[in-house]
Order: sequence, then C-alpha cells, then structure tokens
Amino acid sequence: MTDAASSTDTAGQRVLRLGGRSFGPRQRLVMAIVNRTPDSFYDRGATWDESAAMERVHAVVGEGADIVDIGGVPAAPGAEVTIAEEIRRTVPFVAAVRAAYPEIVISVDTWRHQTARELCVAGADLINDSWGCWDERLPEVAAEYGAGLVCSHAGGLPPRTRPHRVEYGDVMADVLERTLALADRAVSRGVDPSRILIDPAHDFGKNTWHSLEVTRRLGEMAETGWPVLVSVSHKDFIGETLNAGREERLAGTLAATAVCAWLGARVFRAHQVTQTRQVLDMVSAIRGDLAPSRAVRGLA
Amino acid sequence: MVPVITGAAICPPAPLLARKLTGRDPVIPELREACTAVVTRLVRSGPEVIAVVGAARRTAIWPADGRLDLAAFAPALGGRVRGPAPPLPLPLGLGARLLDEAGYRGPRLLRSVGSDEPAAACLRLGAGLRGLGDRVGLLVMADGSARRGVRSPGYQDPRAAAFDAALERAVRGGDLEPLRAMDADLARELLAAGRAAWQVLAGSMSGRVTAAELLFSGAPFGVFYLAAWLPGHPA
Repeated sequence: MTDAASSTDTAGQRVLRLGGRSFGPRQRLVMAIVNRTPDSFYDRGATWDESAAMERVHAVVGEGADIVDIGGVPAAPGAEVTIAEEIRRTVPFVAAVRAAYPEIVISVDTWRHQTARELCVAGADLINDSWGCWDERLPEVAAEYGAGLVCSHAGGLPPRTRPHRVEYGDVMADVLERTLALADRAVSRGVDPSRILIDPAHDFGKNTWHSLEVTRRLGEMAETGWPVLVSVSHKDFIGETLNAGREERLAGTLAATAVCAWLGARVFRAHQVTQTRQVLDMVSAIRGDLAPSRAVRGLA
Repeated sequence: MVPVITGAAICPPAPLLARKLTGRDPVIPELREACTAVVTRLVRSGPEVIAVVGAARRTAIWPADGRLDLAAFAPALGGRVRGPAPPLPLPLGLGARLLDEAGYRGPRLLRSVGSDEPAAACLRLGAGLRGLGDRVGLLVMADGSARRGVRSPGYQDPRAAAFDAALERAVRGGDLEPLRAMDADLARELLAAGRAAWQVLAGSMSGRVTAAELLFSGAPFGVFYLAAWLPGHPA
C-alpha cells in the first residue's frame, strides 16, 4: 500500500534479516512456539514426543507461522536440565526441522552458548535468549554462525528464576537501557545488526504492573529502530490481569498482541498461530500496511 | 467526410473495477478483462476523440486530465486527488482509468449527465456528441439495477430482473429504441443510476441497429453489469 498510512511510524525501522529471508518494517511475523519439554507451563509436554513436536511444526507452518521457536528448557524454575540434556532434546529436532523445511526461519530458545552453538550447526537462524544475555558468550556464537540474536530484558535475574519484590524507578527506562546495551554489545562482538531484535520479556523480572507498563509503552522500544519481539502468549500478567486460569487467557493474549502490534512490535511469539496471524493481519490492515483480503462491500 | 461514431464501449461504473479496491483478492478478474477488451476495441476503432459518458449529480464537462479519487473509496490507498480541479465523478473517473489502461493518449471529452436529466435532454446531449469530430468513439459507463436480490445494495425489487433483461436485449440486439423510452422513475426506484447515460448513448447512436458483442452480462454482486462493444456506422 502507500506511504500515507504509516510512514511516520515505521520510519527508522530497519529490515530484519532472519536466515535467508528479509522482512520489512510493515511485516508482522508470527513465531510459533514448539516446546521440546515435558513441563512447559502452557502446553505441559504436549510436544515432548518428537513426532508430536514435528506434527506441531507441520501444523504451524500450515497455519502461516513465519518462524518456529524451539526450546528444550522451560522458563520457570524446576528440575535441572543439563546442557547435554538440552542438546539432546533440541539439536536433532532442529536438524530434522531444517531438513523438512529448508526455508523456514528456525529460532532456538536457549540462554546457553554451548547449546546455541550446536543448534546453529544444526541449522538454527536465530538465538532467542529470554534471559538478558546471562551467558555473555552468546553473541560470539551468533556472530560466528551468522545467526540472529534476541536481546531481552530480564531485569538482571538469573535464568529460570522468578521475580521477587522487583522494583524499578522506571521499568521502561530499564528495559531500554539494558536491551540497547545488549544490542550494542552484540554488534561490537560481530553480530549482524540486521539480525538483532530487542524484547521487553513480559513477566521476566517483572510483576504484572511492570508487564502492563512495558506493553503500554512499547512504542518507546519501537522508536529505537531495533525490531521488537514480544512474547506475551498466555503469560501470568494476563492471568493476573483477568483473573484467568491457564486455559482462559487467549482473549487477553490476543488483546495484548494487538496493542503491541499497533505500537510497533514486529515479531510475536505465540502458541495459537492462526488466531495470532488473524490479529496481526487485522492490525496491519487497520494501520494501512496490508490490503483487505477481499473487499466488495459497497464497491459493486 | 461524413462524421461517424466509431462505436461505443459499455462498462459498469462499479468501483471494484479498480483492481486495488478489492484488496488482495482480484474478486472478479473476468469483469475487468471484459472491460479492458471492449475499451481496447474502442481505441482500435480509430476515433479522433473519445467521449466518456456517465451519470453524475450534474451535467458538465470535466477537465480531460481529471482523475478518479481512489482515496475516496479506500483512504489507505492514498493518492488523494488534490489541486484546484475536483476529482472526477465515479463513472468518468473509472472511464478515464480504462482509457489510460488501454494506452489511449488521444483527445478525450469527459461528459457527465445529471442523473435527473429528462430523456429529451439526454438524447440531445447524445446527438451533440456526434459533432465532436469526424470519428467519435464513446465509452459509456452505465449499468443496470442495484436491486437484483436480497443481497443487493438496494435489496430485492421484483421488477429489477425484467428491467435489466430489457436493457440487455436492447444492447445485445443493437436496437437502442427501448433506451430512449426508459422509465426514469422506475429506473430511480430500481437504483439503476445509469439511466441518463443509457439515454445519452441512445441519442448518440440514434437510429442505428447494430448487434453488440457482449463480453460480460450478469449481476455477480446484486448489481447488473454489462460489458459490451457496439460497433458504429456512419451517422
């Protein structure tokens, strides 16, 4: 469509490169979650079995996912998953997905550089680290393999810990300070700047008020020019906001998705690909970035 | 040289003829192809001037370089027509686009006829078009009733089908006499906004009986469309 609708809002936004693909500022991408865990909070091991996980990949690709995000360690505290075990869970699977889908963008959800390295060898395009680069060697792996890197805000918390009495003078200021510093550091370590995203990391190192605040002010992240990834799907801040149990958070998830999209986020990590795709297409059409699928009403 | 009408192309003034307006789905490419084909026939008939005729609020001649304001229908598409000249009425704007798309660069007259213009005035306007030059082509942007069914813009009117059938018969057979006698009140009630333009056509090809090539006929969205080429004869 034309520049009229949103050129001001997307000005300064850069092309995002993931794998062999390039995505413009007006494209809103769905990153489908595929867990190789027996105990992740939402799906509770539904794709623990490798064939079930591959079925999930087939399904989400069919539903229009742009990226699959494969992880072997839940974010929540729990039984330790060693590096060897994480590799065992994810590396052969990433290789299998790469073989099945040479073009799909593969993201890997890990914070450990050893795992990340094996995953990059197996074909991963993006290292999705939710823990604020706790492992300082992640950027060098991304740089070495030409992979992308997600620079997220966990408020300085170690991996797999929950926030406890966290406080911020200004949570968005902290998000910006930390994620931009991580992005700059990644660039200095040789990561391709067009492959770096920033992520406020809802719920990570944040109480519900903080997550609502970073959602409300997400535009401040988009204004930096770095592509923004959000991961809100079924998270606790939605549950607490709506007093909704784990099975009751889809409407809240989609509402938060729409607001983030409106405010400039470009990648959306999601469990429900079809609904997320519809929300993003609707927002894109409202913004004037995407033509309606089929318009006849009043035009005959 | 005796002036001739080289022929008349007939297309519906439906906004969805503009490809972008239907979004990502072309929706009805066959209608656009039919319109392109009849306009191409018109251009190839060798007119020295083409008159685009369509019904609008008032009878007027519009600037030949006028354009359709697509943004009036789809603001997100931008391209709002600005400047001293007002945007063209829909039928003329669509007609101008069709001429542009057919690669026509010759002189054009954009002639609107007021929807309430009585038949006699329409016929006179049509006869006047014959005097535009030695070889005059016509692009008539007109269609039938918008009350063909319950899903039509104007809901269903049981009289609509017969009205449109008469219209189609006249065009198909090249016998334009019934157009001269079109009932303006009935046409208004049936949301047949093209009535005045049809009568301009009848006035311009007065007395001619020429079988048309009908490339499209139907009411796919509850509005009756024709895409046709009426070959001309010396006036």
